Amino acid sequence: MRRLTRSPALRVSGRRLLTAIPVLWGVTALSFLVMNALPGDAASAILGLDATKAEIRAFSVKLHLNEPIWTRYWHWFAGVVTGNLGTSLSSPQSVASVLGARLPVTLELVIYAMIITLVVSIPVSILCARWPRGVIDRLSLVLSMGSISIAAPSLALLAVIVFAVKWAIFPAIGYVGLSQSLAGNLHTMTLPSIVLAVPLIGFYIRFLRADLLEQMQAEDYIVTARAKGVTEWRILIRHALRNSFIGLLTIVGLNLATLIGVTVIVESVFSLPGVGFELLDAISNRNIPVIEGIVLVFGIAVVLANLVTDLLYGALDPRIRHVRSRS
Amino acid sequence: MSVPAANVLTTASTVPPAEAAGSAPRARGWLRSAEITVPAGILVLLLFFCFIWPMIYPVPKPVGGALQTVNLPLFSPGHIFGTDDVGNDIMSRILYGGRVSFEVAAGVQAIGLAVGGLLGMASAYRGGWIDAVLMRILDVFLAFPSLVLAIAISDSLGPSEMHVIWALSAFSIPAFARIARAAALQLRDQPFVVAARLSGTRAWRIMLKHLVPNMAPQLLTFTMLGAGLTIILEGGLDFLGYGIPQPTASWGNMIATGQQFISVYPDLVLVPTVFLLLTCVCLNMMSDGLRARWGVR
Repeated sequence: MRRLTRSPALRVSGRRLLTAIPVLWGVTALSFLVMNALPGDAASAILGLDATKAEIRAFSVKLHLNEPIWTRYWHWFAGVVTGNLGTSLSSPQSVASVLGARLPVTLELVIYAMIITLVVSIPVSILCARWPRGVIDRLSLVLSMGSISIAAPSLALLAVIVFAVKWAIFPAIGYVGLSQSLAGNLHTMTLPSIVLAVPLIGFYIRFLRADLLEQMQAEDYIVTARAKGVTEWRILIRHALRNSFIGLLTIVGLNLATLIGVTVIVESVFSLPGVGFELLDAISNRNIPVIEGIVLVFGIAVVLANLVTDLLYGALDPRIRHVRSRS
Repeated sequence: MSVPAANVLTTASTVPPAEAAGSAPRARGWLRSAEITVPAGILVLLLFFCFIWPMIYPVPKPVGGALQTVNLPLFSPGHIFGTDDVGNDIMSRILYGGRVSFEVAAGVQAIGLAVGGLLGMASAYRGGWIDAVLMRILDVFLAFPSLVLAIAISDSLGPSEMHVIWALSAFSIPAFARIARAAALQLRDQPFVVAARLSGTRAWRIMLKHLVPNMAPQLLTFTMLGAGLTIILEGGLDFLGYGIPQPTASWGNMIATGQQFISVYPDLVLVPTVFLLLTCVCLNMMSDGLRARWGVR
C-alpha cells in the first residue's frame, strides 16, 4: 500500500481525478441552469401545438417539471451518483440506453478521424521538415492554412459535392452499423471522418513542422547525431520526431473538446445517428435529462483525455515524471 | 501600431531559430513584407465592399428577389454571382452577409477581450484564491462543449445578430481569459513590474500602464485568430439553424440554404464558401505574420 501511494503516476492520476470532480459538477450545473433558462418547456415541445393547457399541465406534473429547479437538479444529481442517468422526456427509454445507442457512432467517428489525421500529418510534416522551403513544404503550408480556415459545414458540403454528387464514391447521407457490415460501415463513415480530420491535419502539420524544424536547427542532440554521421532521415524520425510526440500529445488532448463540437455539425450534414444528432434533437425538445447525460459524457471524455495525456507525458519523457505533477 | 519597448528587447531571443536562420532578408521594411500586407489588403478590400460599396453603388437588395430571376447561373448579366432559389442577387447577399460576419467577429472579439482579457489579467496579477477560483471556472468551460452553450444561449435569446454575438462570446471569453492570464503571469514578477509596485503604484495603474502594453502583441494576434474562428463558428451556428435567421443574409445561412439544392446548384454553397475561406485565411495569415514579426510564441 505504501509503495502504491508513492507511485507518482498514481498520485498524479488520483489528484487529477479529484480535481475533475468539481469540474464535472460545474459542467452539469452550468448546463442545467442554461437549459432551464430557455423559453418553452419539454411538455409543450413534446406534445406539440395542438395540446391543451390542461394536457400540458398534466404532462409537466408527470415529468416533475413543475418542481423548482433546485429540487429537480438534486433529483438528477442524486440519480447520477447512484449510477442512474434518468429517463428521456420524449421517449420511455432511459438516458443510459439512448447514450449507449448513440455514443458508439460518435466515438467511431472521432477515432477514425484521429487515425486519418495522424496517418496523414506525421509523414507529411516529416517530408516538410526534411526539405524546408521545398515544394512539398510550401504546398502543404498553403493547404494546411486553407484547411484550418474552412468552416465545417462548407467543408462537409464540398466533400458531398465532389465525392457524393460528382463522383458518387461515397454516400451523401446514411449510416450502416459496425455490427451489420464492416465494409458498409467504412463506406458510410469515411467521408464524415475525412471532413472531421481535414482541419486537424492542417493544424498538426503546422505544429509538427515548426517543432521538428526548431529541433533540427538548434538542439545539441541533433548536432551530436549529425557529427556521428547519422543520416538526416534517421535523425528526423528517431531523434526529432520522438521529442515532438510530447507536444503533439498535448494538442490531441486539447483538441478533443473542439472535435466534439464539430461532430455535431458533421453528424447533422451526413445524418449520422450519433450523440451530436441526438443533442440537437434534445435541445429543440428541451429534453433536459438527455442533454445533461450528453454534456456529462463529453465532460468526462475531456477530463479523461487530459488525464491520459498527463500520464503519457511521464511514459514518454522520464524527466517530467516527477516534476510535472500539476499543470 | 507601435511595438512595446520590452517586447522589442525580447524579440531577438524569442524568435524561433527556424525563422532567424532561414531567409536572410528578415529585416525588410514593414510594407514590403507580403505575408502581412497581402492579407491585410484583401481584408480592407472585403471590408470596403461589404460596408461602403452598397452605399455608393446601386447594389440590388439582398432580400425580396423577383420570381423571374430565380436560380440564374454565375456571371449572368446584372447578377455576377447569379441568383438564389428565391431570386435574390447572390453578390448582394454576399456583401450584406459579409457585414454580419465582420460585425459578429468584431463584437465577439471585443467582448472576449474586454471581459475575458480583464478577468484573466486581474486574476493572474492578484493571484491567491481569486485566481484559483477563476482557474476552476475556466476548467469547467474547457470541459464544457461550447457549441452546446452557444446553441442554448442563442436559442433562449431568440435568433438575431446581437444574440449570436452573445452566444459566441461563450467561446471567446474563456479563451481570452486563458491567454491573458498566461501572459500576465509571465509579466507579474518582471523587474519593471516589481519596481512599479515597490514605488507604490496602484494595481490598476500597473495593469493598465505596464501589463497591458506588454500583453498587447499576444492579445492582438490572438484577436485575429479568434476573429477567423468566430466567423467559422458563426457559419456553423447559422448552419444548425441557431444563428442569423432568414431572410437576413449571412454567409452561414446561405450555405445552409444551398445545402437543399446541392446536387443541382452547387454554386449556392460554393460562392459563400469561397468568401468565408478567403476571409479566414487572411485573418489567420495576418495573425501568423504579426506573431512572427513581434516574436510572440
